[in-house]
Amino acid sequence: MRIFLKTIAALVVIGILVLLAIIYVPVQRTPAQTALADDWQPEDGHGEYAMRLADCMACHTAEGGEPFAGNRAIESPLGTIYSTNITPDPETGIGNWTLADFRAALYDGVRPDGTQLYPAMPYANFRQVSEEDLRAMYDYFMNDVEPVRLQVEETALAFPFNQRWGLRLWKWVALDDPGFTPQYDDPVLARGEYLTEGPGHCSACHTPRNTVMAQAGLRASDPEFLAGGEIAGWTAPPLRGPQSAIRGWSAEDVAMILGTARNAHAALNGEMQLVARDSTQFVTDDDLMAIGTFLVGLNDPDAPRAGTSDDAEPTQTEQLLTAADPDMALGPRLYLDNCNACHFVNGRGADEVFPELDGNSLVTAERPTGLIAMILAGSQLPSTELRPYRLQMPGFGERLSDDEVAALASFVRSAWSNDAAPVSASDVADLRGEVQPAVR
Amino acid sequence: MTPRFLHATRRRFLGGTASVAALASLSMPLQAQENLVPLDEYEPTFLNAAEWAFIMAATARIIPSDGDGPGAIETRVPVFIDRQLAGPFGAAADLYMEGPFDVDADPNLGIQSPLTPSEIYREGIAAFDAWCVDNQGGSFADLDAQAQDAALTALSQGEPQLRPELLEFWSLLVQNTKEGYFADPMYGGNAGMQAWLYIGYPGARANYLEWVGRNEEYRLGPVNIAGERA
Repeated sequence: MRIFLKTIAALVVIGILVLLAIIYVPVQRTPAQTALADDWQPEDGHGEYAMRLADCMACHTAEGGEPFAGNRAIESPLGTIYSTNITPDPETGIGNWTLADFRAALYDGVRPDGTQLYPAMPYANFRQVSEEDLRAMYDYFMNDVEPVRLQVEETALAFPFNQRWGLRLWKWVALDDPGFTPQYDDPVLARGEYLTEGPGHCSACHTPRNTVMAQAGLRASDPEFLAGGEIAGWTAPPLRGPQSAIRGWSAEDVAMILGTARNAHAALNGEMQLVARDSTQFVTDDDLMAIGTFLVGLNDPDAPRAGTSDDAEPTQTEQLLTAADPDMALGPRLYLDNCNACHFVNGRGADEVFPELDGNSLVTAERPTGLIAMILAGSQLPSTELRPYRLQMPGFGERLSDDEVAALASFVRSAWSNDAAPVSASDVADLRGEVQPAVR
Repeated sequence: MTPRFLHATRRRFLGGTASVAALASLSMPLQAQENLVPLDEYEPTFLNAAEWAFIMAATARIIPSDGDGPGAIETRVPVFIDRQLAGPFGAAADLYMEGPFDVDADPNLGIQSPLTPSEIYREGIAAFDAWCVDNQGGSFADLDAQAQDAALTALSQGEPQLRPELLEFWSLLVQNTKEGYFADPMYGGNAGMQAWLYIGYPGARANYLEWVGRNEEYRLGPVNIAGERA
């Protein structure tokens, strides 16, 4: 008995010591992965370009706020996280941060005072950012960004997620080794892989989360990498595999949609519109083509493009819609009354203007949230340098009841070659009121 | 001459929108069709009692109810005109209203009246009604159909000699009557989409490209901007 009690006591003491160690022993910061000369200086524009690649602006700028002053409310499954002020203001921003502090935030997710950053900051991906890009970004934030004095809202998640020290344990599981080692000899593929895995942090949304909510794959060699995830309740579509949103696309198609928010098949929607607005439209053609080449390479080269068939015959859906029979079911009737003007009876829309609905990843996503929100609230493409027109789809929330939206969504999810589960009126009712009209 | 300012410009229609986005951006809550107040109980917003009586009588002669299709009264054109005159159209919100105004200017230089459309209606109705009393023996609304037609014909030919600022009165009245007849029901006219049903126009469905060239009846009835079907 005494031995048993002693053992228990010893375990408790060890446990407490381990806990104290986790909380109080300083984190080992990841060092620079490439030794650069102390007087290394980025070329003009490199820092801003690296910032665009990493899209710091999207999260660290509030809607209508000063650039990089933070305070954007980011809805996470754990609660609302407020992005930080990353302008060089010494008191409320990062003006007093050293290069090593900056690197530790990007690579290890820790602040200079040792506070653990929530993984809304994609350090799991930024660990692959090159020392050159990192130093260029640091230089940009310190010298080119205007300091803004703004104390951002304190992030206050519910217990246990407010115990930030716990993130230290999480990181042991969630993070991979730092640094980037390409899996391709081809320089274009290697560049595309770097941009996608590292600064582009595409995986943060497009890769499923595992049981501890870590990205299930961080590198192209992991089959789960870019196999489809979720963002703000919307599906971030898979970019590889049988349901890949880009199957059958060319590298040019991928480059086009990243650079202009639209291409011959699809239009960006949801949060991805912000990515084009703030990040990818500023990426060079060469880099966009590298990303396109890399992503296309993850897909089966023989897979037909979604929504296409060799069959020259009109589909059943096309025949049904073309007949325009007044006795047709409510779903196709609503399609004719509301959608057909732009998306047409064949569901093919028009290149770079009206996206294809046949094989559209938003339409057929497992979770219909994005599709319902699109019907209720509409959408507006960002203006990009190459395609400045803010093409709009109006919202139909005022025109259609919950039952009608459900019937319409269920129809397009099963029309042409689409084969997704129906939508219920209660799915629609849950979203109505939450979504804001995209076109004002 | 049809006043040019009554036509939405093509450029404005296309600008800033793609296709039906234009329609949706105009949308406002529609009075449900079944809740429409009968015309004789309708309380005009802009028009006074005498003006309302004139508009009811005049539009009923411009698009009469005894033809093949519905008339201006069944389609509630007077409601459309009253609401338009009470709103930005009546106040000339979209018109250049600074001078100079030169009634002798080339017609191609556009409207020369310093009056807003609502002022043209108000003064035009009063002046024309006074002419009717002098020349037809009564207020326009009190005349029989034949005398009303004669009076409107005279108005269309400039016979009543209205003052130059009111020159557009007749063309405005005709134009707005047509608009009330064919516009989307959300503006108060074209009740029940009757005018669209009559001419076989499918309404805010906007596109039936696949039917172009097919020599057969298109059987789907119209749909309005609020999404209602008729």
